[in-house]
Amino acid sequence: MATRQTSRAQTAGAAQGPRDAVVVGGNRIPFARAGKKYADASNQEMFTAALEGLVARYGLQGERLGEVVGGAVLKHSRDFNLVRESVLGSSLSPQTPAFDLQQACATGLEATITIANKIRLGQIESGVSGGTDTVSDAPIAVSEGMRRALLDAGHAKTWQDRAKALARIRPADLKPLSPATDEPRTGLSMGEHQAVTTARWGITREAQDEIALASHQHLAEAWESGFFDDLVTPFRGLTRDDNMRPDTSAEKLAGLKPVFGRSLETPATMTAGNSTPLTDGASTVLLGSREWAEAHDLPVLARFVDAETAAVDFVHGREGLLMAPVHAVPRLLARNGLSLEDFDFFEIHEAFASTVLTTLAAWEDADYGKNELGLPGAFGSLDRSRINVHGSSLAAGHPFAATGGRIVATAAKLVATKAAETGKPARALVSVCAAGGLGATAVLESV
Amino acid sequence: MTAAPPRTADGRELRVETQPGLPGLGGLYARGAAASGRIAAGRALPSLPVIGEGRSPDGQPGTAGSDLSLPDVAYRVSGVGTDGLERHLHDYQRLLHEPVSSTLPAGYLHVLAFPLGTAVMVRGDFPLPLLGMVHVANRVDVRGPVVLGDVLDVRAWAENLRPHRRGVQLDLVAEVRHDGADAAAPPVWRGVSTYLAKGFELPAKGQSGSSGSGSSGSGSSGSGSSGSGSTDEWTPPLPTGRWALGPETGRAYAALSGDRNPIHMSALSAKAFGFPRAIAHGMYTAARALADVGPGRGDAYRWTVEFGKPVLLPGTVDVAITPGAEDGSGYSYVGWNARKGLRHLSGEVVPL
Amino acid sequence: MTDRYTKAVNSGFTKTLATRLGLPRPAILRRYRAGDPLTVGPVLVVSDGASKADADAVAQTLLGWDLDVRRDPTDDVRWGAVVLVLTETARPADASEAVLAVGSVLRRLAGNGRVVTVSRAPADGDTPELAAARNAVDGFLRSLAKELRGGATGNGIVLTGGAALDQTSVRATLRFFLSAKSAYVDGQLLQVGPADAALPEEWDRPLDGKVAVVTGAARGIGAAIARTLARDGATVVCVDVPAAGEGLARTANAVGGTALQLDVTAEDAGQRILQHARERHGGLDVVVHNAGILRDKLLANMKPAQWDAVIAVNLAAQLRINEALLDAGLDGLHVVSLASTSGIAGNKGQTNYAFSKAGVIGHTRATSPLLGARGGTANAVAPGFIETDMTASIPFATRSVARLLPTLSQGGEPVDVAEAIAFLASPAAAGVNGQVLRVCGQHMVGQ
Repeated sequence: MATRQTSRAQTAGAAQGPRDAVVVGGNRIPFARAGKKYADASNQEMFTAALEGLVARYGLQGERLGEVVGGAVLKHSRDFNLVRESVLGSSLSPQTPAFDLQQACATGLEATITIANKIRLGQIESGVSGGTDTVSDAPIAVSEGMRRALLDAGHAKTWQDRAKALARIRPADLKPLSPATDEPRTGLSMGEHQAVTTARWGITREAQDEIALASHQHLAEAWESGFFDDLVTPFRGLTRDDNMRPDTSAEKLAGLKPVFGRSLETPATMTAGNSTPLTDGASTVLLGSREWAEAHDLPVLARFVDAETAAVDFVHGREGLLMAPVHAVPRLLARNGLSLEDFDFFEIHEAFASTVLTTLAAWEDADYGKNELGLPGAFGSLDRSRINVHGSSLAAGHPFAATGGRIVATAAKLVATKAAETGKPARALVSVCAAGGLGATAVLESV
Repeated sequence: MTAAPPRTADGRELRVETQPGLPGLGGLYARGAAASGRIAAGRALPSLPVIGEGRSPDGQPGTAGSDLSLPDVAYRVSGVGTDGLERHLHDYQRLLHEPVSSTLPAGYLHVLAFPLGTAVMVRGDFPLPLLGMVHVANRVDVRGPVVLGDVLDVRAWAENLRPHRRGVQLDLVAEVRHDGADAAAPPVWRGVSTYLAKGFELPAKGQSGSSGSGSSGSGSSGSGSSGSGSTDEWTPPLPTGRWALGPETGRAYAALSGDRNPIHMSALSAKAFGFPRAIAHGMYTAARALADVGPGRGDAYRWTVEFGKPVLLPGTVDVAITPGAEDGSGYSYVGWNARKGLRHLSGEVVPL
Repeated sequence: MTDRYTKAVNSGFTKTLATRLGLPRPAILRRYRAGDPLTVGPVLVVSDGASKADADAVAQTLLGWDLDVRRDPTDDVRWGAVVLVLTETARPADASEAVLAVGSVLRRLAGNGRVVTVSRAPADGDTPELAAARNAVDGFLRSLAKELRGGATGNGIVLTGGAALDQTSVRATLRFFLSAKSAYVDGQLLQVGPADAALPEEWDRPLDGKVAVVTGAARGIGAAIARTLARDGATVVCVDVPAAGEGLARTANAVGGTALQLDVTAEDAGQRILQHARERHGGLDVVVHNAGILRDKLLANMKPAQWDAVIAVNLAAQLRINEALLDAGLDGLHVVSLASTSGIAGNKGQTNYAFSKAGVIGHTRATSPLLGARGGTANAVAPGFIETDMTASIPFATRSVARLLPTLSQGGEPVDVAEAIAFLASPAAAGVNGQVLRVCGQHMVGQ
């Protein structure tokens, strides 16, 4: 133990817990464009499949894990125990506890933070985090008028009261409601919000398309190189992310019509090509204490060093909806005595290409650093060749709650591979923005 | 409980006429409100007239050229219980995107007091016709919370008749106090609704005070000129929100507020008054903006609005809520039609 | 699993009808189930005079397995098995009495009965007469097997290098042939040489504590092999191409093993298999080269891609992986490769496949002494017509004819191949090295 303490002191982190939580590995199913391969797959089926692949990869059949934590953003009310039900349908021990958690698009990362924290506290030895989302099998709700009438009818004591309640239903109430990605408080879709942020920071169409192109190319290269061979298990006949367009080009992207920000004064720059499409999928990450991993002869890819979440006031336009990670990262790095130069990899969730670009622009802006981040000046700039080196959501797709798991597993493998190649520690910064002005960020480090 | 007689902005003392109850809210909620005692008793008052735009005052009796003066009377209803309003309140809060709670939002108090002010305007000695009057601005001062169960004292009168480029303006004032509160102290809620009556003229020196006296109306006269139709040069800011207003928006607010002006109810009935489609209630949009400001407005604040082009339904309104430069300095807001670049409303919510 | 025709001619009215019409009536083969008796009845052990001592040793072995062992062919019983010991027969004429004794009991051989010959292989320096006597058993056994009915099979043990009857490998082979595990092995002679091997502690778990790798484990025969090895006590690493990961995970979870998504044609496939087995399971004892593909085309129409892909997967990959395994210097490594009867007897439209499978037989023989030097073995199993998803796609008429061609008049099950592999993979079979065991119901000509 003494030597481990010493080695820990030499690596990142002033805010160390009593012990390390490590990432053993991950598994996801390929992400599918909405309405395609997983059109009739439910969240539970997808999450179970992702779990089963993880169990198979790491030989966890019958294993009682400390906890499985995950969630879905678009969830049926019948899925109140989505993760637990998935565990019961898996090859894990039925004695493995589980719970659902949700933090919009940051669900997967927040679940990972939760598992890592429990491990670091010594409450559990092992756990799986993850998330799943389906747009194809999204819940459809009845209208508010219908719902209230039905509820009142259900509560009514006499048939007269029941009839009276039901009589309130109007033809307009019969229209079902589909879940929207609009922010409830502003009525703006996430794309429209980001269009405002994009306009505010003056991000160009060309810069966004460049990010999108790189995402597709990098993801395709990663698939070709076999990087995902031990991170993905096929599902329903889909073997790779079907949103990926290895053959796309700057010209093709430039030809797309803008879809967001068209009502702004500035020219609209956000297209279907530089925005993530609606996607179905599920992901998982296996974490444990070092001791647990060792006792189970499991590999250790990375140490889950620390995490920070943030939120911004987008309702009053003080900040862009997806800018919370911009605030979280400086706090996270300060706590751990790190700067942007200390990272080999940056995994910045590409909700939109411009999310990455507005994040970088804000960090490079001295006034912003002073006024919004409380720093002496600009937070800093980072080596762009280290961002999303194997592609990100623009190419892979973004099944909301599943993205965190995808990114954490990718980042963990990246630092492990890099450290193995160079013999030096490697570090990755993970950043996921989310609806509601939320953001979750984390630091992973090779072991 | 001796209430000091109210005075107008220019110091006129008003005779108080106590009414038996607040005029009815009509519709579904009248019955619900009846339980609270006095609120719905206002059936005794004449049914609500139509306040609308698009009617020329020409040909109306007793208008142009006559000596215009406002009645020196304030209507008062005391002992207004709010116990029975829970469902009505919650429906209002849901419709306007306010958090559902037992606190009566400022816009809700407007809905409660609105019929009493209207009653003043339909008096026989009121010099202007309700038809053809345009609600161009509104200012509400809130000095503290009013909650369900509070018993209220409500007064309303008209004042400050003044000339305007396109006619005359006047303010309809409503005050809400907790029953038994000191009438000399500022009311817990005070609303000033500015109306424009097009085509009317005041004598060169009107007896209701110089036009300068309107300066206290926080720019209402200014807003009247810009707000009531002129397409001024204006660049929309970046939006912070967007309202997608369905065709039922007018009917839904009408059901809650009792303001069933046909211009809000359906495209057909609105066409009769010269609108291509139904239009949203101005106070609905102002209350949405207030809700968008959110809890940051605090318990005591001034909420102003100047109305511009009406919002056609169904329609989309882009909104920008902008905090003041310093923390605690309140918010300004503006709502507009992004496609046409037309401003629908703008205003402020600032601490008092 | 038994095909519909076999079921129909073995039950009810259709059975009577089939008998009247003289239709071939394939038997329902008895397959291994834990706890079932080893044989279906008493075992007769006969020998010529010279081989009596060896016959006694055989009888002792059988008695040790709690079998009802008889030496008198006139006993009025339904024989479960006959073991003919001709190990010391010096002259062809000396075999008559024992051979005819076998003949005398055949009518009383029970369904799913067994005939097993035990003889010695001709060796350099044998007198012509001795060599004749020894080689004669080959023709005798193959012909006798064709005369057996009701699912009975005939197989032979051919001792080489002076192997003794009480040797573990001889016993294990005898047990395999007698048991239901060899249900679809018919007319085969298996050479067993002298080798040190410990008797298994439990005959039902001959692979206890062993780590086995099975390639192509996602489905079909590979999945059956994984299940069978796991049943026999092995920890199974299931390997298949990443695209087959969903089935692979299912297999791995069913057998409590681990899934390794890996293309066996990758340059470093052998190293990665080794690394996975060692790091995750502490060693490697068995490798089953099952992964294989078909690209059937007449040679005249063969495209380079069709030829090359088959050679790369079916042959080159095995060679490259074996090289890595040999470099690693593992002790007691059992390698079993999937050959095919096509690689022995040839098949129209399968020049590429037969080339690869005959190549497998070639490298197996060449590898066997290299592994044998460290206590390991290299063997091949050549399946005939096996009922799998793959063969289910063969047109019905062709499939039906193919089923009736072998002596057993039916196709085999994937588990039949798996049983043979499990036997060859077991430590007790250390004396069986460089052999090709056909699992074909005695299909086609050739060795």
